[in-house]
Amino acid sequence: MLDFPLLILIPLLPLAACVLTALLGPRFLKQQSHLLCIGAAIGSCLISIWLLATVSRAGAHAAHSYYNWIQIAEGHPDAVDIGFRLQADGLTSVMLTMITFVGTLIAVYSVGYMHGDEGYPRFFAVFALFLFSMTGLVLANNFVILYAFWEGVGLCSYLLIGFWFNKPAAAAAARKAFLVTRLGDVGLLLGILLIWFTYLGQLDFEYVFHNAHAVPASTLTIICLLLFCGAVGKSAQFPLHVWLPDAMEGPTPVSALIHAATMVTAGVYLVARCTPLFVLAPTAQAVVALIGGVTALLAALIALTQNDLKRVLAYSTISQLGYMFMALGSATAATSRALVGVAATAAIFHLFTHAFYKALLFLGAGSVMHAMGNVIDMRRFSGLRKVMPTTHWTFLCGALSLAGFPLFAGFWSKDEILSTTLAASKGGHTYSSLYLILFLSGLLTAGLTAFYTFRAYFKTFWGPEKIPHEAGHHAHESPRVMTVPLMILAVCAVGIGFVNAEPFTHLFHDHLERIPLVREVALEMGEEVAVSKPLVMSLSIAMALGGIGMAYLFYRKRPELAPELARRYQGLYQLSFNKFHFDEIYYFFIVRPVLALAEASRIGDLYLVDKIVDLIGTAPMMVGRAFRPIQNGLVQFYGLAMAMGAAGFLIALMWRYAW
Amino acid sequence: MTPLNLLHNYLVVGAILFALGMVGFLARRNMILMFLCSEMMLQGVALNLVAFSRYHGNLQGQVFTLFIIAVAACEAGLALALVFMLYRTRKSLDVSLWQDIREVGEPPIADGEPLPAPPEPQGFPHLIPSGREPSKPQEAGHA
Repeated sequence: MLDFPLLILIPLLPLAACVLTALLGPRFLKQQSHLLCIGAAIGSCLISIWLLATVSRAGAHAAHSYYNWIQIAEGHPDAVDIGFRLQADGLTSVMLTMITFVGTLIAVYSVGYMHGDEGYPRFFAVFALFLFSMTGLVLANNFVILYAFWEGVGLCSYLLIGFWFNKPAAAAAARKAFLVTRLGDVGLLLGILLIWFTYLGQLDFEYVFHNAHAVPASTLTIICLLLFCGAVGKSAQFPLHVWLPDAMEGPTPVSALIHAATMVTAGVYLVARCTPLFVLAPTAQAVVALIGGVTALLAALIALTQNDLKRVLAYSTISQLGYMFMALGSATAATSRALVGVAATAAIFHLFTHAFYKALLFLGAGSVMHAMGNVIDMRRFSGLRKVMPTTHWTFLCGALSLAGFPLFAGFWSKDEILSTTLAASKGGHTYSSLYLILFLSGLLTAGLTAFYTFRAYFKTFWGPEKIPHEAGHHAHESPRVMTVPLMILAVCAVGIGFVNAEPFTHLFHDHLERIPLVREVALEMGEEVAVSKPLVMSLSIAMALGGIGMAYLFYRKRPELAPELARRYQGLYQLSFNKFHFDEIYYFFIVRPVLALAEASRIGDLYLVDKIVDLIGTAPMMVGRAFRPIQNGLVQFYGLAMAMGAAGFLIALMWRYAW
Repeated sequence: MTPLNLLHNYLVVGAILFALGMVGFLARRNMILMFLCSEMMLQGVALNLVAFSRYHGNLQGQVFTLFIIAVAACEAGLALALVFMLYRTRKSLDVSLWQDIREVGEPPIADGEPLPAPPEPQGFPHLIPSGREPSKPQEAGHA
């Protein structure tokens, strides 16, 4: 273990930037508010890269204890001892580098995108606060600190979705995001409490993971499912996925950073971090894989018919997150110990590449939106490749990567996931057939992904040139401050996959194997499960090319085909277009009863509780009213009252003493 | 005449003084008269003290009376100033004109006998510069 006291700087720099921007921004910095935020992001990024190199070279994790946060009943068997200790292993260092690097690029991009906005300082203050929370989240070394930062990123997400709080849709979306993720967070909190009870107050990751064998399997399954609840909420997985598409009401850089690249992957990070627990609970693993697979397919189906460019990307994010959970769920020890490490690596690798190309796609969409006068409906513009050449080719890089086109980043990571799932289905254990079905649905999803991505691409950048009137006459390429981050991300989206291009390079895999705990689980290497890599690879290439080809056919070659198909399968089309009616179902079965309960409580409060309080309040008033006539303003009356009172006292005295 | 009889006589006179004062205070509306009546009640009490002092053969009651006289003198100054201020506001010594300072919303107590009409405001005489008529009559009381 390395002592690395500088760890604290990674979250602390953005925090300082946040505080300073919040204090100085509105008065002094104004349109220069981005300087502190970008500076802090670059600083954190440099330290993260240094940390990555250090961890990689030393082959051990870096950590440092800062202070004892909560200490209760020292020496007692039920003692609680929670230290503020940061820790960075292979997983954390990769996450940190990714968060700060993408964060820096998006902060630079925001300078152009948010230019002239009234809330410019506020945007960068919350942006920095988010970087603080997110880096803290991945650096935490126990569940309590993790939970604190987990709520922190939720808060930042709320603040940034509702950034334009004057817009009712944005305010509603922010509330929805906060409430829906809260449902999952309750599960996470219960899971942490259950760990606390099970381990007698020990919440450090290391202790919990090392002693997982001693915990009964049923308890472990419940713990894992509760933790996964939190991940489902935060990462917008199937039943709680409804908040993410609405979150697109926020500014586009926010969608790119929080709702594509980093915050929504916190759930994936949590499950990956807790792999040592999940490995021992195959049922929980199967649930994770199943939810992931269902979400991936469902979101891909919805994305097929959406007309809002950002919403298509949002659903594709949900779908890709589903992929990651599918991989994590496949890290089942039932087949082979070796698979665990491979599966976790596959998920994190996909998370890593996804962050780059999805951020790129969102920023590209933002660039389009910026030029089109905030119009994002794909029916209102087309043929933009001449107007916005840089945005066009960078978006194409991202789209190819997302579609899994051979040699692009997304291709390598998606292949990893598919082969992991296939490997998990071998061995004839209880859930083999489930994993096989998931593998097939994953393949189908890959095809759908390629299709909807290129549908969006063709609809936006090809066809006759059409520009909405909101754009005015100056529909133009975005400024350099926006296009340069796009270009850097495009290079990453093309090339970043080569760090782990199985079976040629294993850089990423080797680095992650340094997660001490995963390595420990994986140490008892069983025999490698034989998965025919070329088979998976060729299948996935076929699906990707097929999807792209279909999109080309429908939206370039014969544009009349798509509406005709939609007409013929009207029911299916409507189902997808209306997002499988999830919002309506939730509204009817959950929101309405809750609203009714709220109304009932309101009435009870208004007419029962308030009335009783009012009654108590009126009693002194009534007494006062009874005595009011005494104050009639006549001096003689007062004198008489005084004299009679004195006489009364005297008579009483005499009564007492004289008789 | 025994000392006890003597004491009784004094006490009776004191009680009469006090009762007269109280009746006057409760029955009159003229503020100056009310003030004088209250002085009378005070003197009735003072007489009691002197009488008891004589009866007991010590000086405590007399000393106390001296104090009462001193306090009454101060109080007279204050009360007259107050009465004067009240008079300046209402141009009348009638205490029932101050009935308005009662609880908000309570009906006024109507007198059986209506109040006499307020007297004409009586301004202080002005000295006119010789040979010249004043341009406009000045307001009374501010000369």
